[in-house]
Amino acid sequence: MLKITNVHKKYNDNEVLKGVDINVAKGDVVVILGPSGSGKTTLLRCINFLDHADQGEMEFDEYHLQMHSATADEVRKIRQKTAFVFQNYNLFQNKTVLENVTAGLIIGRNIEKNEAVDLALKALAKVGLSDRVNFYPSQLSGGQQQRVGIARAIAVQPDVILFDEPTSALDPELISEVLGIIKQLAEEGTTMIIVTHEMKFAADVATHVIFMADGNIVEEGRPKDIFQSPKEERTRNFLRRVLPQVEYNI
Amino acid sequence: MDINYQFLIKTFYLVLAAVPTTLNITAVSLLIAMPLAFYLAVIRLRPGKYIQIIISGYITFVRGTPIVLQILIIYSILPSFLNSVAKGFALEVNVFDWNPIIYAYIVFSLNTTALLCEVFRSALASINKGQLEAALCAGMTTVQAYRHIIVPQALVVAMPNICNITVKLIKGTSLAFLMTVKDMTAVAKIAASYGYNYIEAYMDVFAGYVIVCSVVQVAFAFAERHVGKFRFIK
Ligand SMILES: Nc1ncnc2c1ncn2[C@@H]1O[C@H](COP(=O)(O)OP(=O)(O)O)[C@@H](O)[C@H]1O
Ligand SMILES: [Mg+2]
Repeated sequence: MLKITNVHKKYNDNEVLKGVDINVAKGDVVVILGPSGSGKTTLLRCINFLDHADQGEMEFDEYHLQMHSATADEVRKIRQKTAFVFQNYNLFQNKTVLENVTAGLIIGRNIEKNEAVDLALKALAKVGLSDRVNFYPSQLSGGQQQRVGIARAIAVQPDVILFDEPTSALDPELISEVLGIIKQLAEEGTTMIIVTHEMKFAADVATHVIFMADGNIVEEGRPKDIFQSPKEERTRNFLRRVLPQVEYNI
Repeated sequence: MDINYQFLIKTFYLVLAAVPTTLNITAVSLLIAMPLAFYLAVIRLRPGKYIQIIISGYITFVRGTPIVLQILIIYSILPSFLNSVAKGFALEVNVFDWNPIIYAYIVFSLNTTALLCEVFRSALASINKGQLEAALCAGMTTVQAYRHIIVPQALVVAMPNICNITVKLIKGTSLAFLMTVKDMTAVAKIAASYGYNYIEAYMDVFAGYVIVCSVVQVAFAFAERHVGKFRFIK
């Protein structure tokens, strides 16, 4: 469904992506792991053109394009097929919870208002926020805001949802309410690419795990293989650091 | 000091009758300046060297010179300039017949555009980049993102400054008499000149501006609350 090949991206002289390939089939949950600064966010942002890759090819269903020379029209079409859940939510501050979810439908996709509200209310029910539809983002907790962010993403029924560390900005006690919803989406077969540092969650939901470091994919495979028998030294080091309990479990 | 109360009251009504002229100049100038300033502010937030130099030169000129001087320059130069342009194109217009209020619109629009441009620029820049990105991700075009997401938020940030500029503009229009426009100040001055009742006339003008500016500030306070209803203090 979505295939990107040989993505390169430089910031000035800093080469952040050094030729990354990703292949996502419908229903896949691809989890991207890697130390901070390895280019995970940049990769997600290049997929929906918030950042422009210097090189790379994208095949997304019927679209086939060179990522560095995508036209405004192509960019918009790709964005219509995707949704993005941000680390810091980025809810529209001047819109209510309901309007945050309908905006992408009514403004972004020209869907009629009644239908948009129906879709939005369904999405909000799914994330357990039916009782907050008329609140403004500033009146919500971080966990609730991120759940609105997820509702905003699923309401537009995208082909793939991109998550950039959706729980990194949350207080520990709020993390599970967000992860629970993403897990439910995974069980329903939603196609997702998720960057996260939550290892247990990653092992739980992933159909495919990618480990990135310094702008390269170091290793990828089934979650079982990556977590239990990583082949690369760098993957092992990373997992040992983020999963200290592995060493002490006898 | 003797105050001629009869004159005081009579002139006060004259001043009140000239309030529409003052508000007219203010409103028209704002209506011209707002879209222009917004457009310039958007340009200023983008790369592009030469246009930046031109815009910032214009802003520096307006901010760095007294408005009296701007009025004198425009009022003395512009009519002859326009006249020669009209002649050049063989147009049948006599710019010297124009209502002087047109020159007031031009001066105050140009002046207000420069001030508002800086206000809009900093207000737009204060909105987190993530708001635009989220709007684009939601499938909006950049124009839609600005219209529905960025501008409504920037407006709230800009409101107090827009209010200040409006009040400043109202006070500035008191110089319109230099262009023979009959605004509040001009009317009072003319009335005073017959019997040298300047003290009374100035007291009337003073009261007139206090009233107009207070009403405008109250109106802005309401408007600010309205456009900013999404802002909740936690
Ligand atoms: N807008 C930017 N300008 C310059 N450098 C950037 C920018 N965004 C990211 N980088 C750099 O790119 C590298 C990868 O960043 P990022 O993709 O955010 O990594 P990750 O999400 O894996 O932590 C980092 O070294 C970061 O400093
Ligand atoms: Mg990141």
